[in-house]
Amino acid sequence: MLMSASCMAIAVALQVGVASSAYANDKLIELSKSNENWVMPGKNYDSNNYSESTQVNAENVKQLKHAWSFSTGELHGHEGAPLVIGDMMYVHSSFPNKTFALNLNDPGHILWQHSPKQDPAARSVACCDLVNRGLAYWPGDDKTPALVIKTQLDGHLVALNAKTGEEFWKVENGDIKVGQTLTQAPYVVHDLAIVGSSGAELGVRGHVTAYNVKTGEQAWRYYATGPDEEIGLADDFNSANPHYGQKGLGTATWEGDAWKIGGGTNWGWYAYDPQANLIYYGSGNPAPWNETMRPGDNKWTMTITARDADTGKMKFGYQKTPHDEWDFAGVNVIMLSEQTDKEGKKRKLLTHPDRNGIVYTLDRENGDLISADKLDDTVNVFKHVDLKSGLPVRDPEFGTRMDHKGTEICPSAMGYHNQGHDSYDPTKQLFFMGINHICMDWEPFMLPYRAGQFFVGATLWMYPGPKGDRQNYLGLGQIKAYNAITNTYKWEHMERFSVWGGTLATAGNLVFYGTLDGFLKARNSDTGELLWKHKLPSGVIGYPMTYEHKGVQYIAVMSGVGGWPGVGLVFDLQDPTAGLGAVGAFKNLQRYTQMGGSLEVFSLDGKNPYDDVNVGEWTKG
Amino acid sequence: MKKISLPIVAGAMLVAAGFVGMTTPAAMAYDGTKCKAPGNCWEPKPGFPEKIAGSKYDPKHNPKELAKQVESRKGEEARNAQRAAHFKKTGKWVYDVKKIQ
Repeated sequence: MLMSASCMAIAVALQVGVASSAYANDKLIELSKSNENWVMPGKNYDSNNYSESTQVNAENVKQLKHAWSFSTGELHGHEGAPLVIGDMMYVHSSFPNKTFALNLNDPGHILWQHSPKQDPAARSVACCDLVNRGLAYWPGDDKTPALVIKTQLDGHLVALNAKTGEEFWKVENGDIKVGQTLTQAPYVVHDLAIVGSSGAELGVRGHVTAYNVKTGEQAWRYYATGPDEEIGLADDFNSANPHYGQKGLGTATWEGDAWKIGGGTNWGWYAYDPQANLIYYGSGNPAPWNETMRPGDNKWTMTITARDADTGKMKFGYQKTPHDEWDFAGVNVIMLSEQTDKEGKKRKLLTHPDRNGIVYTLDRENGDLISADKLDDTVNVFKHVDLKSGLPVRDPEFGTRMDHKGTEICPSAMGYHNQGHDSYDPTKQLFFMGINHICMDWEPFMLPYRAGQFFVGATLWMYPGPKGDRQNYLGLGQIKAYNAITNTYKWEHMERFSVWGGTLATAGNLVFYGTLDGFLKARNSDTGELLWKHKLPSGVIGYPMTYEHKGVQYIAVMSGVGGWPGVGLVFDLQDPTAGLGAVGAFKNLQRYTQMGGSLEVFSLDGKNPYDDVNVGEWTKG
Repeated sequence: MKKISLPIVAGAMLVAAGFVGMTTPAAMAYDGTKCKAPGNCWEPKPGFPEKIAGSKYDPKHNPKELAKQVESRKGEEARNAQRAAHFKKTGKWVYDVKKIQ
């Protein structure tokens, strides 16, 4: 009754005036400025995972202790991070994508939970574990309640009343029968909820869609391949950099109709510039992995994409990996900054560490390519990226093709960087990147396309890169601090396993990150020195976040190993080529962790609401 | 040594190709820098065809299979539009379109 009554009020409001004057995104910008909130994936529209909180700092981090924890009741990979809005924390789980609202004054009390009923067949078309990267939040207005926006593996985008957890609307945005799923966190800009796509390993043609948060109506939808109007190119698309390519390439760089099953799904992260009104994301790999079956540059897969938030029109697009031969799905995190370039010009920038082993920096207003640096000097697929032409200079020795087994290819398909959401410290002008150090052998094979079935067509063998321990299959990760203008690494350290989950930087001169072997670690962000670590229940594939509640700074991170590196452990696989080649590379992971599923919260001296033993008691005293 | 000599060989082949009018010189490897048009720089690798249709690498895609995603999305968009229209009219989101009059 309550639900329908409030909905009636909304319906009336909608008829009175659909075009609300005050954009909710302004509220999100305001909310994101408070250290008491963490209101969106990546913390703010710059997507920099940077907090100005200094209570926990390099001097006192040794006092950091466990404060409280929450188990989600699910296993498998737990990616992303919770949201905090005032007294409320919103936590998400792996499939079936439960949502929990916790009261930060008494986090043992679950205020509401949303438990979707999904067709279990959705599990069978998820390429890389049953993960989900998180929730988004729309702050509400005087007519419509605040909403928590979530995705489900079965393809639905759902809006929940943030106070009650009741379903506000639920739209279909992916069909498992044609191989589609959803794993990314949606994103709220203005009064729109933006959602990407998954399934390039099943021949899904990538699409991105915006829905009106108030009505559930589709506002725009565009594709990564095909005719220009379906891709949504703006009239002035790439006008500042016409050498990137402009019209007609979504079909001209394919043979026949192969673009219809051409991949380019975007399942990574977003960023947004309110002045330019552009959202940024990267499109994924073309399908199939067998390069011989899709001659051509395969545009606009593997592309750094900037679209107008309200119309979806594509302002610029830079293809990082023309004619992918390695599954370097171009979906990784995009972090925004303002820095002075080498010529002394102040620029609004985006920085993007890609699967292909290159970290790119572009002018985010017009797409000018500023930097393209190797994530590690062991990258060999490209000799370098020519900044003038924007083209990667391929080393043919490390390409892939039919009737050939490529060997010692670096990076591997898992990339030198994957889905981890990194951080940027604007005061130090340093990016803190969790990096993979995995190389591979690769041999493609011919296969038919059948909608709903896997459409990969390659066998992979993956192993530690040259700086790791190839005998013992350890040394698969690195953590580095990087300057995008000087093209230098201030510090770097090897890690036992890939740093898969991303990083968090703070004004306390600290960088935090979780590891696949189940530690939360803190390093001095100036020097990279390891200052603190804590053993968590399970490996980490989400990014740490921080917030202040009642004057106490907390650091929180999801625990629960899985994702692509965890598929061997999670599904009990032994064949080294199973799990798209990840099983062999991570065969030792299970000697350091098992599955889990929880949120772990830390503070100085472990200060927490239950320091008052009467908080949460049924009988006080 | 091998890596150093490769560009020299490739360069020589490029010159040779210009003289004899070869389209895909067998020994010149695809390095991604020779473009037909801006944003269109793919070349077949040595020994591979420009077009795969009719070759041993012909994927022989079934057009009915290729159309399935488009068909599926049309259905989703139609059902979503029905739901949103009903929501605007009644203030109640009904997911099951069979229950929408």
